Amino acid sequence: MTTFQPPVIDWAALTPVLVIVGAGVLGVLVAAFAPAARRRSIQVVVALLAPLAALGAVAWRWSEVVGGGESTFVAGQLAEDGFGLAAQMILLVIALVGFAVLASRLPGGEDAFTPQGASAPGSAYEEAARKAGLEQTEVYPLALFSLAGMLVFTMANDLLVLFVALEVLSLPLYVLTALARRRRVLSQEAALKYFLLGAFSSAIFLFGVALLFGYSASLTYADIGTAATASVGMDGMAVVGLLMVLTGLLFKVGAVPFHAWVPDVYQGAPTPVTGFMAAATKTAAFAAIARLLYVAAPGFAWDVEPALWVVAIASMLVGTVLAIVQTDIKRTLAYSSVAHAGFALVAIVSLPEGGPDALLFYLLAYSFATVGAFAVVTLVRERDDAGNVTGEATHLSQWAGLGRRSPVLAAAMALFLLSFAGIPLTAGFLGKFTAFVAAADGGAWPLVAVAVLASIAAAFFYVRVIVLMFFTRPEESDEPQRQRAQAVAPGALTRVALVVCAAGTLVLGVWPTPVLDLLAQAARFVV
Amino acid sequence: MIDLAWLVVAIPLASSALLLLLGRRSDAWGHLLATLAAVASFVVGLLVVLEVLGQSPEERINDVHLFSWIPAGELSIDAGLRVDPLSLTFVMLITFVGSLIHVYSIGYMTHDPARRRFFAYLNLFVAAMLVLVLADSYALLFVGWEGVGLASYLLIGFWNHNTDYAVAAKKAFVMNRVGDMGLIVAMGLMFASLGTVSFSGVDAAASGLSTPMATAIGLLLLLGACGKSAQFPLQAWLGDAMAGPTPVSALIHAATMVTAGVYLIVRADSIFSAAPTAQLVTACVGAFTLLLGAAIACGKDDIKKSLAGSTMSQIGYMVLAAGLGPIGYAYAIFHLVTHGFFKAGLFLGAGSVMHANGDSTDMRTYGGLRKVMLVTWATFAVCWLAIIGVPPFAGFYSKDKIIETAFVGEGWQPWVFGGAALVGAAVTAFYMSRMFFMTFHGKARWVDEASKLGADDPRPRRHPHESPLVMTLPVVVLAIGAVSLGFLLSLGDGITGWLEPVTGHVDHPEPVLPVPVILTATLVLVAAGVALAWRQYGMNTVPLTAPAGSPLTRAARRDFFADDVNEALAMRPGQHLTRTLVYADTAVVDGAVTGAAAGTVASGRVLRKLQNGYVRSYAAMILAGVVIAGAVLHLVRL
Amino acid sequence: MSLMHYLVLSGILFTIGAVTVLVRRNAILAFMGVELMLNSCNLALVAFSRVHGTLTGQVMAFYVMVVAAAEVVVGLAIIVSIYRARRTVSVDEPSLLRN
Repeated sequence: MTTFQPPVIDWAALTPVLVIVGAGVLGVLVAAFAPAARRRSIQVVVALLAPLAALGAVAWRWSEVVGGGESTFVAGQLAEDGFGLAAQMILLVIALVGFAVLASRLPGGEDAFTPQGASAPGSAYEEAARKAGLEQTEVYPLALFSLAGMLVFTMANDLLVLFVALEVLSLPLYVLTALARRRRVLSQEAALKYFLLGAFSSAIFLFGVALLFGYSASLTYADIGTAATASVGMDGMAVVGLLMVLTGLLFKVGAVPFHAWVPDVYQGAPTPVTGFMAAATKTAAFAAIARLLYVAAPGFAWDVEPALWVVAIASMLVGTVLAIVQTDIKRTLAYSSVAHAGFALVAIVSLPEGGPDALLFYLLAYSFATVGAFAVVTLVRERDDAGNVTGEATHLSQWAGLGRRSPVLAAAMALFLLSFAGIPLTAGFLGKFTAFVAAADGGAWPLVAVAVLASIAAAFFYVRVIVLMFFTRPEESDEPQRQRAQAVAPGALTRVALVVCAAGTLVLGVWPTPVLDLLAQAARFVV
Repeated sequence: MIDLAWLVVAIPLASSALLLLLGRRSDAWGHLLATLAAVASFVVGLLVVLEVLGQSPEERINDVHLFSWIPAGELSIDAGLRVDPLSLTFVMLITFVGSLIHVYSIGYMTHDPARRRFFAYLNLFVAAMLVLVLADSYALLFVGWEGVGLASYLLIGFWNHNTDYAVAAKKAFVMNRVGDMGLIVAMGLMFASLGTVSFSGVDAAASGLSTPMATAIGLLLLLGACGKSAQFPLQAWLGDAMAGPTPVSALIHAATMVTAGVYLIVRADSIFSAAPTAQLVTACVGAFTLLLGAAIACGKDDIKKSLAGSTMSQIGYMVLAAGLGPIGYAYAIFHLVTHGFFKAGLFLGAGSVMHANGDSTDMRTYGGLRKVMLVTWATFAVCWLAIIGVPPFAGFYSKDKIIETAFVGEGWQPWVFGGAALVGAAVTAFYMSRMFFMTFHGKARWVDEASKLGADDPRPRRHPHESPLVMTLPVVVLAIGAVSLGFLLSLGDGITGWLEPVTGHVDHPEPVLPVPVILTATLVLVAAGVALAWRQYGMNTVPLTAPAGSPLTRAARRDFFADDVNEALAMRPGQHLTRTLVYADTAVVDGAVTGAAAGTVASGRVLRKLQNGYVRSYAAMILAGVVIAGAVLHLVRL
Repeated sequence: MSLMHYLVLSGILFTIGAVTVLVRRNAILAFMGVELMLNSCNLALVAFSRVHGTLTGQVMAFYVMVVAAAEVVVGLAIIVSIYRARRTVSVDEPSLLRN
């Protein structure tokens, strides 16, 4: 019998992932065994400390790796390089602010999640659960597991790992989408749609994996990359395979024509989950797309590029055009994120040299604004006749005059919206600028032209909200019978999240050089 | 000191900025600061003059480099000052007369609540005019050119609560603009053919210009000069410009701004020398305008409008002299300086008269004012004698030289120009005497306020009185200048020698008529004009309301239909054009933008139907996307 | 039986699965379509693995099975919760989120 050769696993390189997974497991145990009264606080502490610790681990790995220590490990299935670490850093920052918003509660003690997920909406059981003060603290480990999947997603150098990570990051999100506290029917509908469409696209993804495997006899990017340059036969299969793999990834990103789930899911999911999901899944999925295109597929990127061009242009146009006709703020932001997927895609479609750093910077800027904007949305609430705070006021007309009642919050929202629109002095402007410059370097001039036009048109619906907040009196709004919305005072966690996001947006907009230099130096792929 | 010549510009400019920025807080002392700034500018200018006098004549042309202004590759324009006898003459005139008018305005504008703003604008004007004359390139000159145009607009329309005045200001500005176009295109042609717009550069290279190009540039410069100096065909604004306060009329529309055109022509000597046709046109324009202005002045009963016509005419003399070439430049400038003094004196005197008559400008309601306003009468008389050219007053020296020079040349030119100048002198004597006698002599056509009047008596009630010292003193100083300057500037080499570094040394050829003949003819015609005016207006009674008059008189009252012509030729078509363009802008351009927006929203409404809420259709979209992309990629590869 | 046959079969199964998702209104049946798609991928992986002589494809098939199982868990939980609320498992029923 031959001796068993254990695989070489670089545990040090996996530290960030291990921290998050460990925290997730710990969370499950806490949810099972901790006393009910203390459960939530312990979970929150774990959920916030874990990304912090992981961030430290990433920083440690950065110092080891960047500048010559890049490697693949676990037999080439995982890659530890500057790009992956940078993407992980961005994900962990998003996780910190996102989890803070996830964990925050309104002044009355109400949080964003249903007291008992298994109960039917509107039933007596649900009412009893609420009165008993039950809490679904499993939300936190679910979020942590999803984050772990995202972290692996950015490191995946192999189609198998990619698939597993994809599923690990998606499944908890499907569950989280269903757990909204109010409007539970919509929440469940959103979860169903997300799940069905996600499973569908995962299946397409998998078939693509099978085809690529058939083409190159291996699942690792390195081998696929060399097979592309080596053999010429069965090219058609490889191209179709690559296309189907990209379909699965573009679905996660929310690019047209795989975007249909985005407005419904963003609208139906609990708003903190939407914020986290919108920022983090996009970042992770784009990181995966970038690695796939630059490492595994440079050989036939030329074949797939036209399709990517069409996807990018369609995303920008459809996202912008549909956002203009929306009346719900969450849906507007959802379509705007479709457009942003298009803008981000512009940076890497033609595989330019500076594409990965531009992409990462764009995603960082976009993420700050996204988490911040959705955090503000959690705070604008309707009130019932008795003056108690009820659900979120998401119809645009309810936001009229918000600037007068809560100037600071409206100002923060305005900042995030301006960052989305790409107005100078915000991070969004520089993100767009670097992305478009990278695209132009790669020769994708028509894309840049369409992107600029779409940005101009998009400014309309961002500014519309700003005008509503600051320059419209509430009585003037279109549907006066809707209840007036009021901004609730943010809890400590949301406050911190808002400050960090706003500060990030401003600082990156005004003084981006340190971050840009860091990314430029680091964003390299190991093959 | 020459290096510090920029202070001449900076001091009034800073004062103007300060007064405008500080606003009401400076109301109490603003006028004093402004006057001080003007005087300080004069002092600095004087020191520069003294230093230049210390230089030998060859080195009197100084170029002071200030800073690099427009470093645009091939077109590299530096800002600098040209300190030479010509610019210094103007500097002295502007700052001296300017300071006097500042002092006068302290009194004239005492009761006006916006007095500080007035002084700020006056300072702005002085600064801009100094930039104009001290510039070392056509580009910087143009900055000053525009600056004085702006200041003129602001000052004419100073009392813009009165619509007529505001309209007059606009008219002046717009007509100036037409002239400015000429200057801009000329600069463009200069740059295109010579590669430079600085005076030194152009002067060095102008002889290499082809004659058509030089003629074009020359004519365009002439157009600019006509706009600024109210020469035909851009003269119609000057009469309306009298709507501004009288110190404004004195400073801007008599002594300084309107002379900027003459300055430009003399400066552009190198270009005009290369373009004899342009010179001829200039002289013709000058000759025509001098007659036109004189005719207009005869028909006006408004004292300021009559003086405006007179200004137009006198500048016509200067332009005629400048158009005669180097032989006439020095005399044009000489007459410019003397004219500055006596015309300003006349305007300020008129201002005092208006002030005394309740701000009425109708000479028909004056009469017999000599008895109540002795000082004003005396200074006005001095200036009157100067302008009509009676020796030994200033005008005699300067205008006679022009008339003599007009008679120099060959062919028809000396006779036409000389004849025009002579006739002009006669008419000048007539209308100026008419003004003098109607105002100060004859029977009073007003009654004292206190006296009793019948209900039907049409005579206005007035209480004329002499002006306070702050207003009479500057006029006295100007009158002294009107008396003595002619003689003083002819001493020794005189002003011709002083200006020689700029105009070049010229031998003065003999005119076609002997000089004594010209001299005698001039004096005889002047005397005839005075006598005619005395008989008409001094001896006879002047009717209180204007009689119908001959067709010529009526035409003169209507400025010889200049306004009507301008309206028909330029204003109406211009309005049509603007209306068409505005329509095109709203319909086409705005329409395209709103159309695009509407299109976007419409496509949004259509597209949103795809998002119908059914998960199966979403799944179908995904599958369709994959299938279509795959099919297209396959087809492309095949 | 050459590779082509397996691939074609895999393709047919995949198509049937996709069409099932598109056509069936019952959520459970739609999900079965997804499962069919996943299993067709398994077939393809195993076929390729055999052709190339490596075990990688077969290992991947195992992973797919595990993941499919996990997906079933989540999916059925969601479907059941909807059933509890609406008493129906039609995928067309929950269509309040639209436009």
